[in-house]
Amino acid sequence: MSSHDGEDTAEQTSNVSTPEETDSAIITVYIGATVPTGFEHTAAEEVQEKIGVDARISKDRGRIYFPISTDKLFQVHRLRSVDNLFVVVEEYDHYQFKESKEETLMELQQLASKLPWSNALKVWELNRSLKKKKGHRKGGNSTRVKPDSEASVADTRQQELPRETSPAGGDAKTESVADPESCQQDSEEALPEARLIKFRVTCNRAGDKHSFSSNEAARDFGGAVQEFFQWKADMTKFDIEVLLNIHNEEVVVGIALTEESLHRRNISHFGPTTLRSTLCYGMLRLCKPQVSDVILDPMCGTGAIPLEGAIEFNSSFYVAGDNNDMAVNRTVNNVSHIQKRRADKGSSSGLPIDTVQWDVCNLPIKTSSVDIIITDMPFGKRMGSRKKNWDLYPSCLREMARVCRPGSGKAVLLTQDKKCFAKAVSQMGGLWRKVLTVWVNVGGLHAGVYLLKRTSLWNKKAALFSNLG
Amino acid sequence: MKLLTHNMLTSHVKGVTKGYPLLIKATEVKVNDVDFNPQFVCRMIPKLEWSALVEAADLLGHRQDLPSELVPDYEKNEDFLKKVHRALLEVEVIEGCLQCPESGREFPISRGIPNMLLNEDEV
Repeated sequence: MSSHDGEDTAEQTSNVSTPEETDSAIITVYIGATVPTGFEHTAAEEVQEKIGVDARISKDRGRIYFPISTDKLFQVHRLRSVDNLFVVVEEYDHYQFKESKEETLMELQQLASKLPWSNALKVWELNRSLKKKKGHRKGGNSTRVKPDSEASVADTRQQELPRETSPAGGDAKTESVADPESCQQDSEEALPEARLIKFRVTCNRAGDKHSFSSNEAARDFGGAVQEFFQWKADMTKFDIEVLLNIHNEEVVVGIALTEESLHRRNISHFGPTTLRSTLCYGMLRLCKPQVSDVILDPMCGTGAIPLEGAIEFNSSFYVAGDNNDMAVNRTVNNVSHIQKRRADKGSSSGLPIDTVQWDVCNLPIKTSSVDIIITDMPFGKRMGSRKKNWDLYPSCLREMARVCRPGSGKAVLLTQDKKCFAKAVSQMGGLWRKVLTVWVNVGGLHAGVYLLKRTSLWNKKAALFSNLG
Repeated sequence: MKLLTHNMLTSHVKGVTKGYPLLIKATEVKVNDVDFNPQFVCRMIPKLEWSALVEAADLLGHRQDLPSELVPDYEKNEDFLKKVHRALLEVEVIEGCLQCPESGREFPISRGIPNMLLNEDEV
């Protein structure tokens, strides 16, 4: 197949392209996961909880790494705080780049044939068969590509490289990496004919001292990968996505396990500012919903937050509310969509969530009846306005304080209008106490997720409470 | 609208002091299948206005002979908890309205969504 010299090379190539025997030995690999920046700790907590391993955090870079053995691989798809997953091929903490661009790129090309691809490719293959068995719907939690979405752009400068090359040697064939398991159990999945594996390389590069661009790195590295494996380059219909992540001196080569897709897992009816589910999940984890907690989202938009809660933290009860016609209808549509999906799978479909149309500044809710308030407050950029926020925020916070249980109640509030928010909280006369803040990136805007505690303060004198009992 | 939600909703028309509980007038009711969690029901009961729940369930024909007052030791009575679960989470008013007991003002329910928005003069 490949014309490269070196014993390693031959061994690796044959492992990849001619799987004659079932290789069911359990191996351990490192998985990288991209998460909303600011919620790395939350994601690590979830990994510890669901997979039982410690994750290494790449602080403020929206990335965590953790080890996993192949028999437990399916568990990674249960993680709700991760946008994308990849298996690490190799990681260099202090990669010494050469002085000149030519030398650096040459070295990257040579790297392609030296990397320990074998285990990573086995995991990729296993992952693919896992997805097929589950009848996995296309798309993971990632929303990175959609231009007008809330998808966060990590602080690194990202450049997705269109990988375009005509295959060198048009009649080169590679036997497909047929998965032994799927061959045995599901004959329809078997790939009897030899078929070209299609791939692309995505390079993310950040740092001041590099002599090359991500385009160049992806192009040259990709070219070498193609030579080595004899795969076919295809930008859109690829089987394997190779990731080349360069951050200053850190270089990580990986293979994607989730598809870059526009999908927000729970939402089928989008609104103008729908939050991605991973961010919703992070916010929910922050407030630690307990059994029987009544959780309100009084400005729910399309219902992304309460819906994620009703699915993932389903021992609580969610009331989603908004003043806008379209918003409440979209919320109900999104809930119905999920319920139908569940009914189709044969499980009981009903979710612990309700939707009401209301005015957040005048909630039709009994005083002190809510345990948690969680919402995405209008930033004043895409919805509402900064000026409106000066009036809205204090009214909101006051009304939320009224309905929230004193002493035990909490609020988790996302906003980009930090100044207005800080001022509004300070005007509340001690009704709310700031516990912590998580700085996040929402659609390119720097925002804060504030965790507040409702104090035991009950102040009728300040006319903060209406006569709603 | 589920009855658990109804249990928390009140009329907030200006000047109204007895806006709770809202009277339900239902023209369409649905019953769903929701996973039963006994712990959830147990811990929710003390947070409820019990009589309002029973009255509402009764009105909708889903009282399932729930008692007007809570009996002690209900935590261990799974039968009872299942009935409460059904009343709280499974019965839904899809179409109808909620009426303020004091002012008579009606808030429509459509597609399961109660519209509690007030007009400018009512605020």
